[in-house]
Amino acid sequence: MNVDFSISQHPLDITPLREAIASPDCGGFVHFEGRVRNHHAGRAVTALRYEAYRELAEKEGARIVAEISRKHGVRAAAVHAVGDLRPGDLAVWVGAAAAHREAAFAACRELIDAIKERVPVWKHETYADGKTSWIAGCDHAGTAGNPDHP
Amino acid sequence: MKPPLRGLLLAGGRSTRMGRDKASMILRGNGQTQAANALRLLEGSCAGVFLSLREGQEKPEGCGSVEILRDAVSCGGPLAGILTAMRHDPEAAWLVLACDLPFVDAEVVSLLLAGRDDAPFTAFASAVDGLPEPLCAVYGPAALPILEEHAARGHVCPRHIMAEEGARLLQLPAAARHALENINTPRDLEMMTRFGDPGAAPPEPAGKTPGREVRLGWFGFLAEQRGRREEMLVTPAGTVGELFAELAAREGTGGLTSGVRFAVNDEFASPDHPLKAGDKVVFMPPFSGG
Repeated sequence: MNVDFSISQHPLDITPLREAIASPDCGGFVHFEGRVRNHHAGRAVTALRYEAYRELAEKEGARIVAEISRKHGVRAAAVHAVGDLRPGDLAVWVGAAAAHREAAFAACRELIDAIKERVPVWKHETYADGKTSWIAGCDHAGTAGNPDHP
Repeated sequence: MKPPLRGLLLAGGRSTRMGRDKASMILRGNGQTQAANALRLLEGSCAGVFLSLREGQEKPEGCGSVEILRDAVSCGGPLAGILTAMRHDPEAAWLVLACDLPFVDAEVVSLLLAGRDDAPFTAFASAVDGLPEPLCAVYGPAALPILEEHAARGHVCPRHIMAEEGARLLQLPAAARHALENINTPRDLEMMTRFGDPGAAPPEPAGKTPGREVRLGWFGFLAEQRGRREEMLVTPAGTVGELFAELAAREGTGGLTSGVRFAVNDEFASPDHPLKAGDKVVFMPPFSGG
């Protein structure tokens, strides 16, 4: 199965990734695009910077893609942007291709969740009022993907 | 007239990262479970204390005969427990406390209660990002319609709801800056049991321990706080966990908390990972990619 993960400077070029995982034996191709939102916790976001611990992020990202490719029998790849982004810009791209759509949907969902949880990347937001903040991951959502509230 | 104050202990989490029920763990030196200590704390200031559990969940050890409220809202997470309680007594203000905050004590609770007014939310500001800490907070009666409205729209993170709606924000005094650190993973627990309470003075190095020089790397807000991305440091610490405790205690780097993960030579490392001269050590704040 195909394994690919990288940390890349904004703007991302995802054409090579799409071509790398698309395959004639794969009838289902699901991809997810994480884009910069123009609001966070009620504040207007005007700019956003991502930074990554690249050496570890690329190792861990490759492990995630390998694990999930194997688990679902899909071809998968992902890339996360670093640098200065604006609302609407592409921050992370995840793709999974499989013979049938069920595996592709499941793998795509698990990939983005695992990347958010396990890959050392940090987000720095700038707001309309000129203030800035580093964002810490949210532990309080308690959704099916993150049931670990106290 | 001030509404009556009820206490709610949130113990309905699945503790998936810990792998066992956090409420039943004994974290403090008095031999009581975390749930028992937290209930006693709430009983000290509230007229009526309730224990929030999931449907079908067993009562954690040490809870005595406290009244149980089972999640009657399907949104999941702590919000389900909070909404269930507020619907149970909508006229009351609720002091909400999570069961995995072993450093919250009577002093912290009295600071919180002294700071509250009739605002829907009263909470401490996070030492990390300044946002409200929702799981040691007071939810006034006015919070109920706000929470209902967010839940109906699928917003289930109380921290984000509070930030968006505006909370009365209190600052923790410097001496209690670690009070709201929670325990999520066996590693957090190990850090706590090995190094005692966060913020406690570090053990004195024994005699003239030869130091080893390591390279520290910093990212995110930790890099901002340090004012640098890399530095060399001579330390007597034998493991990455000891180095972490030494830095956190000696330098008071506010962001060096239990949520920080470690890497040595570009690989994830546990606290007992031995340090060698020349190692590259990185302390990573909680990730926020995606």
